[in-house]
Amino acid sequence: MSDGVPAPEVVLNMPARAEGVGVVRQALAGMADALAFDAAVLSDMKMAVTEACTNVVVHAYDEQAGQLEVQMLAGEEDLTIVVRDHGSGIQPKPARTEPPALGLGLPLIAALSDAFELRGTAGRGTEVRMSFTYVRDVDPADANPVPGQVGDDGRWEPGEPPA
Amino acid sequence: MEANAIVLDDTAGDVIVVVVEGEHDIYTAPTLRERLDEALGRGGGIVVDLTAATFVDSSVLGALLDARRRALESGQGFVVCVGDTVEPGVQRILDITGLVPVLPVLRGRDEAIEAARSNGGDG
Repeated sequence: MSDGVPAPEVVLNMPARAEGVGVVRQALAGMADALAFDAAVLSDMKMAVTEACTNVVVHAYDEQAGQLEVQMLAGEEDLTIVVRDHGSGIQPKPARTEPPALGLGLPLIAALSDAFELRGTAGRGTEVRMSFTYVRDVDPADANPVPGQVGDDGRWEPGEPPA
Repeated sequence: MEANAIVLDDTAGDVIVVVVEGEHDIYTAPTLRERLDEALGRGGGIVVDLTAATFVDSSVLGALLDARRRALESGQGFVVCVGDTVEPGVQRILDITGLVPVLPVLRGRDEAIEAARSNGGDG
């Protein structure tokens, strides 16, 4: 709840590769050390940001290399994390066929962040903006429970995505 | 140097324990899948012990659900255990995805081994 748009305290820019996701978590932990975060919020933040970065690594770029960009902006009451790629933009949701992906990324981000916003333009990349309040009154997972369940065939069946 | 190790422990005999330590995400999920494949190949029950895991993401859940499905298809028991003091980076994702009763997730390794022995159908 800060006035205007504060400048990011930390900007990470790295190749969008799987090994970079853990590096982002390390940076988050370091940032949180300086901000008196509730331990549960820090844990949720690591999870949500991991899922956002994983989406970039898996979905943003086809074969060519691309960048994963993460900004951290500390406000009065919350920390905002922006995860951005410069890939082909939000995909028009073809069948969820990639075997390792459960389609849980965005539902988890919705459940674990106190606010989140997804922006994307075809051909110009995607941005996930998540906010985490330092001390929580309510659990965001109560308002945004993860939809979906394991079906009789043992496979995860995603529910309706968050609005 | 193996801060994020995944090792197989077969000291329980007919049930193999896949011991997962540290942080695991999309980077280590392929290794976890390899270890789970190896465990499934032994033919007995499988316990995935997350007691020393500090963080698991949806890539890990995907690997666990695939292994569980294959275990059940071939009549092998499959149980996850998390120990008595679970890290929030492990418990939270299991809770909000509703997977605790599904996988299923138990506390101690010994009870998980017993459960994997008995939930495999043909024992």
